[in-house]
Amino acid sequence: MQTSNNYNRSRYRLGIWFTAPAVIVLLIVLAYPIIASLVLSFLKVRFGGDGLTFAWHGVTNYTDLFTNQLFREALFRSVYFTVVEVAAVIFLALSVALMLNHPLGRSAFYRVVLLVPWALSPVANAVLWKWIYNANYGILNQSLIGLGLIKENIIWLGTPWLALNMILIADVWKAVPFIALLMLAGLQNIPSYLYKAARLDGANAWQQFVHVTLPGLKTTLVISVVLQSIWALKVFDLIYVLTKGSPADSTVLLNYLSWRETFSNLDVGYGAAIANVLFILMFMLALVYIRALRPRQTAQRDG
Amino acid sequence: MPRYLTQFFIRFGLIAFTLLSLGPVVWSVVTSLLPLSALTSKPPDLNPLNITLENYSLVLDSSRGLFSGLVNSLIIATFTAAVGLVIGSMAAYALARLNMPSSNKILMMILATQMFPGIVIAIPLFLVMSRTRLVDTHFGLIVVYLSFILPIVIWILKGFFESVPMELERAAAVDGASPIQTFRYIVLPISLPPLFATGVFAFIEAWNEFFFAIILTRINVKTASIAIAEFSGQYQTLYGQMLASAVLASIPVVALAIIFRRFILEGFAEGAIKA
Amino acid sequence: MATLELINIHKKFGDFVAVEGVNLRVEEGEFVTLLGPSGCGKSTLLNMTAGLEDVTSGEIRINGKVVNQLGPFERDVAMVFQNYALYPHMTVEENIGFSLQLRKRPRTEIQDKVQKVASMLELEKFLHRLPRELSGGQQQRVAIGRAVIREPSIFLFDEPFSNLDAALRLKTRGEIKELHQRLGVTSIFVTHDQEEALSLSDRIAVLRLGRLEQFGTPEEVYSKPASKYVAKFIGTPQMDLFAGEFVEGGYQIGSVKIALPRSLKTANTPVDVGIRAEFVTLGDTGFDAAIRLVQPVGPFTYVTVDWDGGSATARVNGVSHLKPKETIKVDINPNGLLFFDRNSEKRLDLV
Repeated sequence: MQTSNNYNRSRYRLGIWFTAPAVIVLLIVLAYPIIASLVLSFLKVRFGGDGLTFAWHGVTNYTDLFTNQLFREALFRSVYFTVVEVAAVIFLALSVALMLNHPLGRSAFYRVVLLVPWALSPVANAVLWKWIYNANYGILNQSLIGLGLIKENIIWLGTPWLALNMILIADVWKAVPFIALLMLAGLQNIPSYLYKAARLDGANAWQQFVHVTLPGLKTTLVISVVLQSIWALKVFDLIYVLTKGSPADSTVLLNYLSWRETFSNLDVGYGAAIANVLFILMFMLALVYIRALRPRQTAQRDG
Repeated sequence: MPRYLTQFFIRFGLIAFTLLSLGPVVWSVVTSLLPLSALTSKPPDLNPLNITLENYSLVLDSSRGLFSGLVNSLIIATFTAAVGLVIGSMAAYALARLNMPSSNKILMMILATQMFPGIVIAIPLFLVMSRTRLVDTHFGLIVVYLSFILPIVIWILKGFFESVPMELERAAAVDGASPIQTFRYIVLPISLPPLFATGVFAFIEAWNEFFFAIILTRINVKTASIAIAEFSGQYQTLYGQMLASAVLASIPVVALAIIFRRFILEGFAEGAIKA
Repeated sequence: MATLELINIHKKFGDFVAVEGVNLRVEEGEFVTLLGPSGCGKSTLLNMTAGLEDVTSGEIRINGKVVNQLGPFERDVAMVFQNYALYPHMTVEENIGFSLQLRKRPRTEIQDKVQKVASMLELEKFLHRLPRELSGGQQQRVAIGRAVIREPSIFLFDEPFSNLDAALRLKTRGEIKELHQRLGVTSIFVTHDQEEALSLSDRIAVLRLGRLEQFGTPEEVYSKPASKYVAKFIGTPQMDLFAGEFVEGGYQIGSVKIALPRSLKTANTPVDVGIRAEFVTLGDTGFDAAIRLVQPVGPFTYVTVDWDGGSATARVNGVSHLKPKETIKVDINPNGLLFFDRNSEKRLDLV
């Protein structure tokens, strides 16, 4: 059996000391609540004058969920929102990344342009769109009337479906920059000799895109889709500021619903059950993400 | 497609991209500088003579809560970044270099935690923190923020520490440095730029956070994000002031992002696609 | 100064066996090279000696004392690394003085010693520069200075020249040899360059796939290689090897029979024969062969010739005017022949 010398032993010991604080924090703030959330979802929790009371509730929270009209609608809308949002973000981000990777778009100015919406506080972003969408004085209505495209103001956030899609646009605007950054990094990782070789073989721009760019971006694309799906499922700030779920609950998505059930309606167990459904959806996406990253890891040793 | 046509499309695309990205931001800055009367006239009165800082002075009035929100955000984001950097850099170094068993699996778990919806941990945390009286305290919020800051910090810094040549650490070992001295005198000093930039990134994330803040704060530690959101609900017809508060809350983070763009562009974006 | 003993050293990385049963004893003040291609375990062996890597089994002794449990610093060894491994954020002075600083020596003592080392290595002018402001050769000297200031009992060198260009490599090689002659400190040097090994070492340890193939003086490994592997690895150009057979009065290589002295012992296994270029002469005597390749290298020209069923390279002094496809007479000096067991590849002493 191999025994370590003093130096390697002290490295190992230091490794344990160095990881301990992070592990403790993550255990307390992540691991415990995740388990507790599972337990809570089987309980009926009541806020009384003397604090909280817990009672065993079995799977009722979950059966309630799937018979509940609002939950089913929220689930459907979440899926709709995620699919459309991710498709739009990926398409736009890829276009932006390709432009910024082109010699004409290499200027540092465009990188800064990319960072501004990304760094913007999400609530500030929501307020900004609330103002743009404002039915009476918003720039959107004013511009469209000015251009003669519409005759009278549209109440963007007051109409079911339309409101959801307007939220979606605001979310896409905020999300594109980061995914574009990822793709830009991915594009820059594709060795330039591959393009040279493709050109020597007579490939045109489209063929280069299909046979060099897309395969080279495969991992980045998978990661982008997964990350963006997770973020789209989490959308909250925009709904909170723009509509609070109105009109007629038509902008209630899963994350918002779970929050509202727990903290407004104080049905903690039911809220936790919704959260867990969301959790399962995201966890499956997380597994895809981890799988996409894994083949990159290769063992290293010297000669 | 002929070359000039491609160039035309790309130039056109770049202009559209710039306008669409900056337009809303510019429009909100303009709005924040105009009096309500100018904004509610049709079309909006953009006469530069109307420009005023009145909206800013009004929203910074202490009764509106924005100023204390900015202070709270500063405290919380600074501590989150600082503590996250200290704890995170240690863990990242251990995972990168100190022969931790199955450090890859640990890292994957840390990454997976990043994928949890906040609501899952928010509900139990709220219950625990209510009982321990941590709701509506700086400390409570900082600890919760660490849960999503730490994984990112560890992830970015691990990648960087791995790029520090192994031989430097071996040279230090032969020179008589203990592992902790190697970390203190060799690894940390040469990692200052990424450490600093990672700290900035953590600061931005903590500053911008909204979801936990709305659940775990009441009165005392309302952050800037909460203040803006409440403002936009309460005074939703004071458009100029609403936007002025949004601009105020965004200036620090947008400025930091622009100042540290090089690292964010090169280091962070690449980190996400390389484990 | 110290002796170093490696006793039955094994090293495994998971299932991969990097070093397998190496035994080596380095005498006081000796300069020993670990030589072999990448993957032969030479760097692993050096790292284990330094205490940077743990041994899986076996014993490392310095001055007779088992040091397996000791960390690098406690072993009193100093090491020069492949890429210099200078601390990029420290000046030359701080780089060289770092080990003394860690030992909390007084500031004046550190300054004195750094000064002394710097003047020995002609680095005085650069003391306040950062490594990135130095040339490759200067960086190399700082790395050596950092090792020298420790006054260690053993120097370890891990391919220290691999980042230098050819000219600088030769110069630095000379400097290291001088340094060793001056300080006389026991030194272990790792390289994959056989010429470097031959020119620097008192003894060379040739490694192959984690095993010690031969341990001997440069003269021994060159003239009496223990195996085909060593014979091929050492010497320029590579030794020619023939899978011919013994016949009455000689050794048959294709159409050519090389006459052998009668005193030769016979072997009871098939035997391969090796010959170095300096024992192959071109000229008026011998057998006919066709010239395939003429490679001038300055003081010599290497001429490769073919005959039916065989081929050999000859070393000709100076510049040769021979042309490919010409026919020439070739003579092989039987005294230069080396015999190898075809199955075990070990050298046979048949003379």
